[in-house]
Amino acid sequence: MNPVERVFRNAGVTGWLHAVDIDDGREVGLRADEPVVLASVFKVPLLLELHRQAERGLLDLTERVGVPAADRTSGGTGLAAMLDDATLSLRDLAYLMMAVSDNTAADVLLARVGREAVNTLLDGLGLTATRVVQDCRDMLTSLWVDAGVADQSAVTQACTDPEVVARLRALDPAVGNRSTPREMTGLLAMIWRDEAAGAASCAAIRRLMALQVWPHRLASGFPFDDVAVSGKTGTLPTLRNEVGVVEYPDGGRYAVAVFTRSLSTAQNQPRADAAIGAAARMAIDQLRTHI
Amino acid sequence: MDLVRHLGYFLVVTEELHFGNAAARLGMAQPPLSQRIRRLEEELGVRLFERSSRRVALTEAGRLLVPEAREIVARVERMRDLMSDLARGDAAVVRAGVPADLGAAVLAALIAGFRDRRPDVRLSLTEMGTAAQVAALLEGRLDVGLLRHPVAANGLAYGPVLVRHPGVLLAEDDELTAWATVHLGDLAGRDLVLFPRDAEPGLYDDTLASCRRGGFVPADIVCTDRVEFALGLVLSGTAVAFGAPAEVPGVVWRPLAGTPLAWRCSPAWRTEPGPYVRDFTTVAVQVLKESAGMVDEGVPPAPRVTPRPATGLLA
Repeated sequence: MNPVERVFRNAGVTGWLHAVDIDDGREVGLRADEPVVLASVFKVPLLLELHRQAERGLLDLTERVGVPAADRTSGGTGLAAMLDDATLSLRDLAYLMMAVSDNTAADVLLARVGREAVNTLLDGLGLTATRVVQDCRDMLTSLWVDAGVADQSAVTQACTDPEVVARLRALDPAVGNRSTPREMTGLLAMIWRDEAAGAASCAAIRRLMALQVWPHRLASGFPFDDVAVSGKTGTLPTLRNEVGVVEYPDGGRYAVAVFTRSLSTAQNQPRADAAIGAAARMAIDQLRTHI
Repeated sequence: MDLVRHLGYFLVVTEELHFGNAAARLGMAQPPLSQRIRRLEEELGVRLFERSSRRVALTEAGRLLVPEAREIVARVERMRDLMSDLARGDAAVVRAGVPADLGAAVLAALIAGFRDRRPDVRLSLTEMGTAAQVAALLEGRLDVGLLRHPVAANGLAYGPVLVRHPGVLLAEDDELTAWATVHLGDLAGRDLVLFPRDAEPGLYDDTLASCRRGGFVPADIVCTDRVEFALGLVLSGTAVAFGAPAEVPGVVWRPLAGTPLAWRCSPAWRTEPGPYVRDFTTVAVQVLKESAGMVDEGVPPAPRVTPRPATGLLA
């Protein structure tokens, strides 16, 4: 069995993976062209479009935006979890969106740049299997509607029931924000090669992706002081994703996209989280074998 | 008086601290030895020994004279040896120290290379660790050595510094052999077999410091300068070792990601090099590059630590 497949199998998940050497294009894939649900990974193309609009003068990243307490997309981190009115610059909202996957910050930014603008950008980059059609609030609303519960607060509980999970449209890549592992690594490689936008914008995006706090998924495969890991996670019931870039001290840099779906409906899935790091390291090691 | 010969008597007495024993060692009676030491004291104008009925002790002047006398006696002996070799028509000799793990092929290339360059000079090689080479060079028992850095020794001069980046040797059933490159941190919890600290004090400390920085604190360290013994421990899965690829069935070599270890080596000699030292150095540098995979030392890469928010200060 493919060793990457074995990692997924041992963790009780189905996995989709693509890894590519950013500089020479060599690649490793597993179901790399199948459609996958992005969950919060959609925040990466959103962040790119935000910077592209700033480059064209359509917005100013230092512009301060009010985020009232009364109108927050729910979530466990950042503004989504804070209680009082706040005012932040667009780029600091982007920081919260990337560092802690703040849902409120993401929805404020997506409303600002527009979904169609993000999709037009993706078309221009040749990433036609990648679509952003929902914001975080849409995804969360579909969850509690499909789960048949009265409100957001009951969703977490309901979604540990396998029968409920079976009817969640949010887990269908045909419905919501979607991509393929290969398109996600393509996007990251363009950001790392300064091709997705101007060099300063790409550097700002790389900075934010390196500031992501989560250590449990992609970064867990590379517990080494001299290896840099940048990434963006995505999570929905049974789905655990992360896309990112791993940079080795010898200059090797690899874009990797890992999407998993578990059999278990538990909210806590440490094996699935760790499998993302383990599979990524396995794939990158294969790319390094012939150096 | 024959000052050098008298200094020789003096050194024997300082080693024995007993005129009777010293005389016996020199194959002479005690009275003439005592008389010669007195003549040396008169010549130098100082007392060298405190003599009592029970014991003989060095004076302050005597203590200061010991290293000076050793140097003079050794140099005169070297000079005599060299001249007598020439007088007998023997080939001249260059005495060189080399590290234990140089390997048969490198050693053979070294000897062949030197023979090509100086067929008239015999190359006498001795296997020695860095600490022993430093002592032997300073005492004049070696003309040139191949030392491993870092070395702290006054009175030595160094040739070009060469570097190699060792990988890790693993048993073939070690799970880490699944990786194309291994990180130092992957080795965590394993035992390490390494050259003895007595033989390579600088490199030993340097290597372990790099290991700690990379997240590898060996559970136990087994020291040996015997390559076969080290490979045996690796083969049995008891320990891992650092080094060049080994052509041994059952042992697998993997490069270390980011080349965190840099083993540096250079020829070294006493401040005034002997006659054939330059020839040896030229050959050694060439052979180490061609046969031992060493390269000129470039700018050593600064070890990097990439910040991560989840593990940052106060995170």
